[in-house]
Amino acid sequence: MRLTATDVSKSFDDAVLEDVSLGVEPGQVLTIVGPSGTGKTTLLRLFAAFQPPDSGTIAWNGSDLWSLSEAERLRVRRKMSMVFQEPSLFNAPVRRNVAYGIRVRKPWSERLRLGVGGLVGNEPLAESVQTALESVGLAHKAGQNALTLSGGEAQRVAFARALAVDPEIVLLDEPTSNLDPRNTAVLEDAIRRASDRGVTCVLATHDMNQAERVSDHVAFIFDGEVVETGPPAQVFERPTDRRTKRFVEGELLVDSAVEPDPTEPSS
Amino acid sequence: MVLLQVQLPDGGWTYVLSIVVVSLKVSLTAVGLSTLLSLPVALLIGFTDFPGKRLLTAVINTGMGFPSVVVGLVVLMLLSNSGPLGTFDLAFTPQAMMASQFVLATPVVMSISLSSVEEVSRSIRDAAYVLGGTRVDVGLVVIKEARYGIVTAILAGFGRAISEVGSILIVGGNIVFSDGQSYTRTLTTAITVEARQGRYELGLVLGVVLLALVLVVNSLGSWIRSKGRGTRAS
Repeated sequence: MRLTATDVSKSFDDAVLEDVSLGVEPGQVLTIVGPSGTGKTTLLRLFAAFQPPDSGTIAWNGSDLWSLSEAERLRVRRKMSMVFQEPSLFNAPVRRNVAYGIRVRKPWSERLRLGVGGLVGNEPLAESVQTALESVGLAHKAGQNALTLSGGEAQRVAFARALAVDPEIVLLDEPTSNLDPRNTAVLEDAIRRASDRGVTCVLATHDMNQAERVSDHVAFIFDGEVVETGPPAQVFERPTDRRTKRFVEGELLVDSAVEPDPTEPSS
Repeated sequence: MVLLQVQLPDGGWTYVLSIVVVSLKVSLTAVGLSTLLSLPVALLIGFTDFPGKRLLTAVINTGMGFPSVVVGLVVLMLLSNSGPLGTFDLAFTPQAMMASQFVLATPVVMSISLSSVEEVSRSIRDAAYVLGGTRVDVGLVVIKEARYGIVTAILAGFGRAISEVGSILIVGGNIVFSDGQSYTRTLTTAITVEARQGRYELGLVLGVVLLALVLVVNSLGSWIRSKGRGTRAS
């Protein structure tokens, strides 16, 4: 297992994870499926080393991320990248957005030189920037300001930006929840192709159909607990857990925490 | 056609020029130092949540309205021979004027920088982090995203400094050398002297120069703001 969560608990705002254990195998697309507000984002943010868990361990190749020094943790962080629900692009040309991760990995002397170069002219595009943009079909938009893109294009650029650093693992937090079907299809295709090239993808989604389309392995999460894991065919067609079954049957699409208020008159 | 018959004191136009130079030197240095202090503080306050954050922000905002004569008085007390910083012998020097303008400009630069740093969404910082950025990288990304606001902050601080008269009159002493070269006389303090001595035309010339400087700075500010809005709107 490359990246593992062992007995992880974390309370973060309203989302709570309880004793979650989950491992990511290299090369696979792991989908974390569950209703909104059940801790999917919290789990991905723990994997991305935003904060330490309240208890339990997040480990990379067996070593606990939070017992590493900051420099060692940075080295591990730089083997991963992440895409959020919102594209979160910088106010800069697309190519500079996509090149960001590559730039921060360079020594300061070279970064300063590139920074000045970027002011006077277009810095040469790193090959991985070009490849990443091509993989989402947006190489022709390299010079455009990222904030002028449509929502779908912006999210595809965000995925290209995550891929350009040549990561071992890409974490994707509901990346298509605001996209139209066409952009969703392009992004799913890019995820599949990245996975074929050996990039591990961890995708959080509440969309079962998407999970069935892209994943090799599914973990169903409910109320902060991983209740069932397995290949998509098994989890969706022959779920063993009661809650997975209800979700698959379409009964648990809303946030489990939002129970109807019994004191309120029903309309 | 000569509209104004300007009577120049000893030193002629070099007098006027030396006043402009002193004004620019003092105000640019003061605002430069304010920026160096304000940006890291704005990032620190903007990024972290701590008890008393709102109070601190309110205090910084209040600082924008500091009466400049009071600042001048306090700075002079600190720098005077009997004051705690008296050993540096800085009273009635350009450095003293830089110090008082620094105190006056800093709340302006800090407050506007802080609000523009706080406008940069959390997800931008998160994106820089997950792409392998260190804490410094994340800070730089935020500065870059807030660049239009920060430039506005610096220009507003400069506007406050260059047009201020009360504190620099107190701590600088409005000194001119016998050859007519300004030592601690700026555009604003020179105008007070010329007005008092009845040389209204010269005062007016200095006033026009000052207005032109402020006008240039303000137009630069609104141009930059409109440019920032243009990109953000889409």
